[in-house]
Amino acid sequence: MSQPKKVFSRRRVCRFCTEKDVTIDYKDSKALRNFVTERGKIIPRRIYGTCAKHQRQLTEAVKRARQLALLPYMGATQF
Amino acid sequence: MRHYETTYILRPNLGEEQLTEIIDRTNAIVTNDGGSIICLDRWGVKRLAYEINKESQGYYVYLNYAAPGSTVNEIERIFKIDDKVLRFLTIKLGDAMNAEAIEAEKQRIAEKAAASVALSEDAEVDEFDSETLEDESTED
Repeated sequence: MSQPKKVFSRRRVCRFCTEKDVTIDYKDSKALRNFVTERGKIIPRRIYGTCAKHQRQLTEAVKRARQLALLPYMGATQF
Repeated sequence: MRHYETTYILRPNLGEEQLTEIIDRTNAIVTNDGGSIICLDRWGVKRLAYEINKESQGYYVYLNYAAPGSTVNEIERIFKIDDKVLRFLTIKLGDAMNAEAIEAEKQRIAEKAAASVALSEDAEVDEFDSETLEDESTED
């Protein structure tokens, strides 16, 4: 019987829960850029392990930043 | 009185006088309705992430204020008419705002500004780099 492939299970904890002084702000496009892909899509929380509460705030912030043209709806994030 | 913040984008080629005129007019709407301005921040000309009305740059103005809800309607009505305003976004930050809270908010913003000046001198490095992202996405 083959061993099931060992799943790498490092506990990823939410960045915003561990570092209390980091706030989610739609005006801070530089920080938000870490949470979207190169094409401008929001990175799912299974990647970074962000908790549901903060992922929700993050999504809201990214969408607001898009309205203000601080982040693109689609296309390159680096400009 | 409620606590709002409005960020708006003006055309970059307006010239100092017209910019000041629009900003003053907006501020006047707030103060005439009995509201008070907590913080006005000109971010200046920034590159837009996508073109708005054929403009690839915009002049960002950030306004933090306490005012009744009808003020927001009035500001947004004027913005919609004015084609010098490319985009605006109003966010409600709090439901009730009294004189004390306004002072506290002013203080908080002043502290934050002082902190960000200190931070930019340190030149901090971002923790999230693209390499770790790739590693982790292959695990799933």
